[in-house]
Amino acid sequence: MTTIDVLLEWLRGPVFWAGLIFMVLGLGRHVVLTLYGIIRTYRKAGDKNIPVRQVVGATLRWIFLTQGLKNRLLYGINTLVFHICIIVVPLFLAGHIALVNQATGLSWPALPNGLATALTVIAIIAAVTIVIQRVAFTTARRLSRFQDFVMPLIVAIPFATGFLVMHPTWNPFPYQFMLFLHVLSGDLILFLIPVTKLSHMVLLPGTQIISELAWHFPPDAGHRVGVTLGKANDPI
Amino acid sequence: MGKTTRDTYSYFVEQKALDVTERPRKFLEAFAAVLDHGNYGVALETYSRLSAKCGRCAATCQLYEATGEDRDIPCHRTELLLRVFRRYFTQSGLLKARLGQGFVLTDEYLDEMAEEYYRCTACRRCKSSCPLGIDHGLITHLARYLLSEIDVIPKALLVATREQLEGVGNTSAIPVPALKDTCEFLEEELEELYGVKITYPFDVEGAEFVFFPAVSDYLMEADTLMGNAAVMHVTNASWTIGTGNYDGINYGLFYSDRMMERIVNNVIAETRRLKGRKILVGECGHATRSAWYVPAFGGPDAPPVINCLEYAWEMLEAGRIPLKDEKIAERVTYHDPCNIARSGRIVEQPREILKAICADFVEMTPNRTENYCCGGGGGTVSIDEIRAFRTGPLGRRKAEQVRATGAHYLVSPCANCKKQLAEVCEDNGLDDVEVVGVHDLLLKVIDFGVPEPGENDADSESDGSGEEDQE
Repeated sequence: MTTIDVLLEWLRGPVFWAGLIFMVLGLGRHVVLTLYGIIRTYRKAGDKNIPVRQVVGATLRWIFLTQGLKNRLLYGINTLVFHICIIVVPLFLAGHIALVNQATGLSWPALPNGLATALTVIAIIAAVTIVIQRVAFTTARRLSRFQDFVMPLIVAIPFATGFLVMHPTWNPFPYQFMLFLHVLSGDLILFLIPVTKLSHMVLLPGTQIISELAWHFPPDAGHRVGVTLGKANDPI
Repeated sequence: MGKTTRDTYSYFVEQKALDVTERPRKFLEAFAAVLDHGNYGVALETYSRLSAKCGRCAATCQLYEATGEDRDIPCHRTELLLRVFRRYFTQSGLLKARLGQGFVLTDEYLDEMAEEYYRCTACRRCKSSCPLGIDHGLITHLARYLLSEIDVIPKALLVATREQLEGVGNTSAIPVPALKDTCEFLEEELEELYGVKITYPFDVEGAEFVFFPAVSDYLMEADTLMGNAAVMHVTNASWTIGTGNYDGINYGLFYSDRMMERIVNNVIAETRRLKGRKILVGECGHATRSAWYVPAFGGPDAPPVINCLEYAWEMLEAGRIPLKDEKIAERVTYHDPCNIARSGRIVEQPREILKAICADFVEMTPNRTENYCCGGGGGTVSIDEIRAFRTGPLGRRKAEQVRATGAHYLVSPCANCKKQLAEVCEDNGLDDVEVVGVHDLLLKVIDFGVPEPGENDADSESDGSGEEDQE
């Protein structure tokens, strides 16, 4: 075995599992803390009447990104397409399913390879244009942090390398090397998910109810703040 | 530390705001207390971790549209407070600080916040455009509350609240005898104009409704109040005005939860004193929204709250408000007050009323939950010294909307919106527009079933129960 084979085995084995566990635990921590926070906030609220339909409606409109089409239409379409591709391709690629099957015996229907290739290319284009749109749109550019520019490109790396792995004629580099980059970038993303903005994959569904609950004041919160600060009886 | 800038706020503050020392420490102490007792914690934790920085909110903000300044991007403004939260109230912030990185809250930074959070009217239009559900209006609300704990409060809001809680008992400083005089005058007007005897009932125990309008209506909005009384009269409602508290205004909503809680509790107390069954709120956006917090502060047996628009539409729909045959002829448009419309709670009722009584009702676009703020929201309308800002960058969008409708009557059931809209029209050359409330127009078309006086008066409506007239 060459060095790259050894490295590859290592990335596909222990590193992948470590990444997966890190991701699951990290996201799990987010979920548990958020749920705990939501329940605690709800318990403290004086008025427990929640406009459920509104909150659920807004949540679904943002999970499915339809609300995103309301302003910045092109950006909205682009982000929608991007999300669909990056969720569907890794989970339903025949090669990935085969790997999971080898390891666990589990299996599920795969995308036809042609379609997977098309979605992969679209994902790469969408990632690049998302960054272009961020740079070109003054407001977003000025708000952006480093990770806002870089993250879509990092997410695009496994797609680009995956494409080259699947299409050797396009690939100027040795196959093993490209596969190495593919697995490496995939592993890296697993580690990044809980600690970057990618964590929105689990946090987003809670945001609408959280915003709603913040307006549900505890019955005597104001008074108690006054007491804590020693100002409860101060003149206005 | 450099020299502070706080004597150059856009709005007046009291001397005590300039005398406060050690502001960063006091601000953080207040922040800690509010996080401890309030319900903002989870929202701040979530917001500070998630933020798409996509700029979608900017595309919905009328202020940013007008100024194009970074500081007016809602997400940018929200970040001002989130930075403080992250640094002082999260593990990672504390860790970073220990490693010698990161930012330190300074006097100058507080001044920047004081300025930015009063440029936002907390209209919450941007909320629906945030993919991550960040409620920038909530952050403005909270930041102003925290700023108030270091006495940064626009003088106009502070003085009115002091008058309400420690002075005469209401924000306009109207004593009870003056209130009764005003109501007597309104009764005479109603009789003179419409030939109908309607009384404003005071301190009636056990009434179904205890009435809380914006108290300023007693000084400035006679027609709205006459309309309110007329609706109660023709529907045989049992209602009363309590002389212990007759002010629905709650500036606490704009700058301090501590004050808001006290003011809401006073409304509940007066209703209970009179053994009233329901709280009836007048045509006022923020008074209505504050009253919706009655269940939060008053517990499960708190009296239910109803807005006069909900009541009027319910009665009109039930056929209990008799109308004249002729409708309002002039073109009418409707401005949704953010505080009642943004949440979608009172959107259709006023429209249904207007459609029923107006021959030419047109919508402005956008409308309903996506309306633009009048530009005077969040209490800024009371700050007279920023009028040029309110009717300029903040109000221009609204002026264009109104102009596009070509309406004569600009209707808005909100005392603050009405004041601001009148100034917006004045400062933007909309001289033919008349700003009125829903009940002002309703009053014109109610059929009291009695002959109307002043037949030969040019303004008067009709000559008898037959109701035959045109404007």
